Amino acid sequence: MTGQLNPKPITTSPSRVRSAALYLVILLGIASVVSVSNWIDARRKAPTVESTEEQLYLKAPTVKRLSLAFNGLAADWYWMRSLQYVGRKSLNYQKTHSGQMSLSDLGELDLSILPVLLRVSTTLDPQFMAPYEYGAMILPTFNDEEAVALLKYGIEQNPDQWRLYQHLGYIYWQRHDYQKAGELYLTGAKLKDAPRWLEEMGARMSLEGGSRMGARQMYQHLYEESNDNWVKQTLLRRLLQVDSLEQRDLIRRVLGEYSTRFKRCPSSWKDISAALMALRFRIDATSGAPLDPAGTPYLLGKDGCEVELDPRSQVPYR
Amino acid sequence: MNDPVMNQRTTSEAVESTTVENRAGVVDSRMLWRISTIAQNAFREAVRDRVLYNLVLFVLLLTAGAIFLGELSGGQEAKIIVDLGLSSILLFGVFIAIFVGIGLVHKEIERRTIYAILSKPIGRGEFLLGKYLGLCLTLLVNVFVMGAGVSLALLYVKHGWDPLVLSIWPAILLIYLELAILTAVALLFSTFSSPALSALLTFFVFVAGHFSGDLKTFAESLGGTAARWFFTIIYYLVPNLSNYSLITPAAHGYAPGAPALLLALLYAAIYSSVLLAAGALIFNRRNFK
Repeated sequence: MTGQLNPKPITTSPSRVRSAALYLVILLGIASVVSVSNWIDARRKAPTVESTEEQLYLKAPTVKRLSLAFNGLAADWYWMRSLQYVGRKSLNYQKTHSGQMSLSDLGELDLSILPVLLRVSTTLDPQFMAPYEYGAMILPTFNDEEAVALLKYGIEQNPDQWRLYQHLGYIYWQRHDYQKAGELYLTGAKLKDAPRWLEEMGARMSLEGGSRMGARQMYQHLYEESNDNWVKQTLLRRLLQVDSLEQRDLIRRVLGEYSTRFKRCPSSWKDISAALMALRFRIDATSGAPLDPAGTPYLLGKDGCEVELDPRSQVPYR
Repeated sequence: MNDPVMNQRTTSEAVESTTVENRAGVVDSRMLWRISTIAQNAFREAVRDRVLYNLVLFVLLLTAGAIFLGELSGGQEAKIIVDLGLSSILLFGVFIAIFVGIGLVHKEIERRTIYAILSKPIGRGEFLLGKYLGLCLTLLVNVFVMGAGVSLALLYVKHGWDPLVLSIWPAILLIYLELAILTAVALLFSTFSSPALSALLTFFVFVAGHFSGDLKTFAESLGGTAARWFFTIIYYLVPNLSNYSLITPAAHGYAPGAPALLLALLYAAIYSSVLLAAGALIFNRRNFK
């Protein structure tokens, strides 16, 4: 090999220039597309809830026809959209209201599309139980007629599913229609594979109506039967609420005894902490306040004459 | 490996070896052998054309589904894996049945290998049937591997055994039968029409086949006798593919009984035979000069 004294000058062949130009066009093109897209997005008006609904959701039977053999997959898609829809609304609510969202706040989320989403999902796959359960838990917070309609449709399509009677009974129980709830529980109890407690619940519901024991049993059984984490968490908080209601009754009794004895309300929790400890309450070490079932100290309200939940507590207000 | 000359050699040599005896007079006993040779060749061709590469895409889809669905489905992973998996088997299968099915005959004509094959004492019907069975074999491998993939994904999301792992297989069998019918439809159209038109027509049949239940209801609701007859005839002419749509019930653990499966198998066998016979009739009259 002989060394080349005059190395080849760097030349730019026409083909290289063409390639470079094409690469440039591609890169610039992509950059332009991104900019133009952003520009268009910025100019577009934010869609209203109604227009979003009109654009995205066809009537349930139409969707079923259009889905051909893929109706199960389409039902799953609508189901996941329902979860994301509620999740997104909850996150937005938490951002604007700073702090944890409680169950009683669900009604303020404006979940107007949720009934449509759940209805489409169950029309596409009437045997899909998760949307019925989810609907029974969440729809009554803002539209219990839709909740009843969804569950009635579910029972029509799956008359042998005792769980649907349990969920519909739960909706009527929330409406304080204990007679109807009891009837539904008793009807469900007659179905094949129904657990024995369903009949017992039905009888108790008709007799005792809205008793706390009934409520505890209701939440406990719904909790045990559910596979959905969100539903389980919701029911767990409802159970905490029942516990807290019972605790507050006890605390009120202690407060009443104190005011009868000393002719005034206690000035701080420390005045009655010994009595509360005797009743097996957990006590906050610094303030001497009793702790609610979620571990947050209760507050003394009305100049020490009333016990109140801390708004930051995980225990639902309503 | 997609060399047309190679394909010509393999197909015609394979046929040659089986037709020597035909000349000697052993005709009917060797017919099955000739058909199976063409079928094997069609299968090998599909493998060489990398048709089974779609399995890689399917595996990626299922893996992603199994990993991410837990987060999105609210505890419904198993149902969604079954829906996603079986729907993908059907969708991938429909694409293969249509796009490979329409090319089975057309490719041989385009490469002119059809002259070498048909110059041997081999019937055009045998050629068509062999091609059909070859693609059915490709689809069988495809559907079986995908079905096994869905079962494995179920084991993964359920962290162990679940009855769905087995109960989805009757639904998978029905999907396969649906694809076998669709392959026969594609093959029929490809005997007299261009590939693009054949693909379009086969896709229409797939869509119409899932609406055929509605056709019957529509026919029954009509007042006029002629119109009722017309739609009833259409209902029986278009394959009733909704008989094979058991993906959604399968996701709830429902498996059809043996009589239902046998009836579905019988319907698919009869319907495919009719289509193949019609295809053979058209193909026999076709002039390749």
